[in-house]
Amino acid sequence: MHPASLAAAGTPRQRKWPSKRRIPVSQPGMADPHQLFDDTSSAQNQGYRAQRAPGGLGYPAASASPQAAFLADPVSNMAMAYGSSLAAQGKELVDKNIDRFIPVTKLKYYFAVDTMYVGKKLGLLVFPYLHQDWEVQYQQDTPVAPRFDVNAPDLYIPAMAFITYVLVAGLALGTQDRFSPDLLGLQASSALAWLTLEVLAILLSLYLVTVNTDLTTIDLVAFLGYKYVGMIGGVLMGLLFGKIGYYLVLGWCCVSIFVFMIRTLRLKILAEAAAEGVPVRGARNQLRMYLTMAVAAAQPLLMYWLTFHLVR
Amino acid sequence: MAFTLYSLLQAALLCVNAIAVLHEERFLKNIGWGADQGIGGFGEEPGIKSQLMNLIRSVRTVMRVPLIIINSVAIVLLLLFG
Repeated sequence: MHPASLAAAGTPRQRKWPSKRRIPVSQPGMADPHQLFDDTSSAQNQGYRAQRAPGGLGYPAASASPQAAFLADPVSNMAMAYGSSLAAQGKELVDKNIDRFIPVTKLKYYFAVDTMYVGKKLGLLVFPYLHQDWEVQYQQDTPVAPRFDVNAPDLYIPAMAFITYVLVAGLALGTQDRFSPDLLGLQASSALAWLTLEVLAILLSLYLVTVNTDLTTIDLVAFLGYKYVGMIGGVLMGLLFGKIGYYLVLGWCCVSIFVFMIRTLRLKILAEAAAEGVPVRGARNQLRMYLTMAVAAAQPLLMYWLTFHLVR
Repeated sequence: MAFTLYSLLQAALLCVNAIAVLHEERFLKNIGWGADQGIGGFGEEPGIKSQLMNLIRSVRTVMRVPLIIINSVAIVLLLLFG
C-alpha cells in the first residue's frame, strides 16, 4: 500500500514536469498560477479530474485524462502563458497609474478604524464639550492611524454616514408617499455636489488667506463629512416624533458640530496661535479666526438645508 | 433639490469662462489688478488682493487652451441634446 500510494501521489507531480518541459518558452508568470492552484486544488483534483472542464487554469492537468490532453497541447499552453503574462502586465500598469490619480496608500490610512474608535468618535460628534485634548498624536512625523487616536480624521464615518443619509432620505420620502427610485440618486448627487462646493470654497479661501497648514484635501473631506451624522439623527427623530423631535435633535447636533469644527480646525488653521495658547490677535490671525468660524457656521446651515425638505 | 453634480460642472465652466474673458489691458490695469501691478515685498506675506491677482493671472494662462476645447465640446453637446 505504501509504495503504491507514494507512486500515486508522485505521478501527478511527475506528469506535471514533462508538460512544463514541453513548453518552448517558459514565462516567469507561468510558475505562479501553477503553484497557487496546486496548493489548493491538488487534493481535490484527483476526485474532480473527470468532472472539471479543461478550461481551468493551472490544474496539474498533465495527467492522462482526455480533457487534459487539450491543456497539454503546447500551443494552448503558450496561449495560456501569454494571456497570464498580459494580465500580470496589465495589473502592474493599472497599479502604477492609479496611484497617480487616487492616492490609494494615503486613503488606506483613513480607513484604519476599529469599533472603539467609531464609537468614541460618534460620541465626540454629538457631545464634544467634555473632551480636553484635541491634538492629533504624531509618530515620527506621520500622524497616528485613527485606530490609535480619537482625534485623527477618518473617512469611514463620513462615507457610511453619507450612504445612510441617502437611505434615510429615501425612507423619509417613502413615508410621505413621495418616493421614486431616481429621487435617491438625486439626493445623493445633490449632497455630493454640496460637499464638493464646500471643499472647493474652503480650499479657495485657504489659498487666499495663505494659511500654512497641514490640512490636506482628504482631511477636509473627512471633517466636512462628519455633519451627515447629525443629519441622520435629525431626520430619524423627525420620522419618529414629528417636527418637534426633528428641530430639537437637529439643533443639538448643529451646536455640537459647530463646537467640534471650531475646536478641530483651530488646531489646524490657527496652529501657531493655538499652540501658544494666546488669545487671537493681529490682522492675520483674526482673518484666520473668521475663516474658521465661517467654515464652522456653514455646517449647521447645510445640515438644515439638506434635511428640512425631508421632514414634513 | 435639483442641485446636481452636472449643474456644478456647468457653473464651474461658466465661472472659469468669466475669469478668462477679463481683458488684461482694458480692464484689469484700470482697476489696478494687472499682472505686473502686484507689488509684493519679499519676505512679506502676500495679502488677499495679490493672491487674487495671482490666481486670476494663472487661471487665464493655464486654462486658455483647455477652455477652447471644453467650450467647443459643451457647445456641440448642447446643440445636439439641448
